[in-house]
Amino acid sequence: MEERQYDLIFICRPDTPEPDIDKIIATVEHAAADKGGKIESVNKWGRKRMAYRVQKLREGYYVYMVLKSTHGEVIKELERRLKVSDPVMKYLTVRVDEELKRQEKFKRHRERRAARRPRKAAPAPAPPVGGEQTAAAV
Amino acid sequence: MSEGHVPQQAPPASGPGGGGPSGPRPQGGGGRPGGPAKRGKRSFVRKKKVCRFCVDRVDFIDYKKAEILAPFIQERGKILPRRMTGTCSRHQRWLTVAIKRAQNIALLPFAAEL
Repeated sequence: MEERQYDLIFICRPDTPEPDIDKIIATVEHAAADKGGKIESVNKWGRKRMAYRVQKLREGYYVYMVLKSTHGEVIKELERRLKVSDPVMKYLTVRVDEELKRQEKFKRHRERRAARRPRKAAPAPAPPVGGEQTAAAV
Repeated sequence: MSEGHVPQQAPPASGPGGGGPSGPRPQGGGGRPGGPAKRGKRSFVRKKKVCRFCVDRVDFIDYKKAEILAPFIQERGKILPRRMTGTCSRHQRWLTVAIKRAQNIALLPFAAEL
C-alpha cells in the first residue's frame, strides 16, 4: 500500500510543564515507530486561546505533527495513547495525502497551461492564502 | 447585507494600457455587471461576487489557518452560504470541510458562547 500522510494535532492542558509535553511527543514518536510509522515533523504552536471551552479551560497548548505511514494501525494506537494520556485534552488526526496530491495535480495543470500560452506573463507563482501546506506555524 | 448601495465602480485608475502584468488579474469580469446606475428610481446594480479562493488560485484550503476561514462563518459560528460570500461550489466544498476540521480542534467555534 502506498504511503499515507496524516496531520496529528493534540491539545494539552495549558498548565502542563514543557518537559511533560516533550515526553508526550517522545512517546508518540516511539509508538509510531513501533508500528511502522514515522514522524516527519513536530511543531509546537504553544499556548493558544481555544474557540470554545474544553474541560472548562479557555487555553490549550497545541502540538502539531506530520506523520507518514503505510497502514492505519498506527493511528489507532496513537489515538488510544492520546486518549489515556491525562494532560491531553483533545486530539485530531486527519489524513491529508489525498488532498496534497490533488493540490499537486492542480498546480501541475496550471503550470502546463501557463506554459502553453504565455501571454499573461506567468501568473504569480507564489500560492496565496492557505495555498500551501507546509509546517509553517500559525 | 451590503449589496444595496452601488459602489461607483472605480475605473482601473491607471490609464489606457495600464493594466499590465502587475497585480492579480482583474477579478473575473470586473466592469461587466450593471451598467449606468443613474436613471430609474431604484436600480440595483448588484456587483458580481467573485470567489475569493479562485482569485487567489487556492488549490488547498488549510484547516489549520483559522484566520482565513474566519470570514466565512457567521457571528454565531454558522458557515456562511455561497450566496452570501460568492464562493464557487468547488471551493465552498473544500471550505466546509476545512471549517469543520478547524471546529474539531477548537480553532473555530461550533457556536458562539454567550
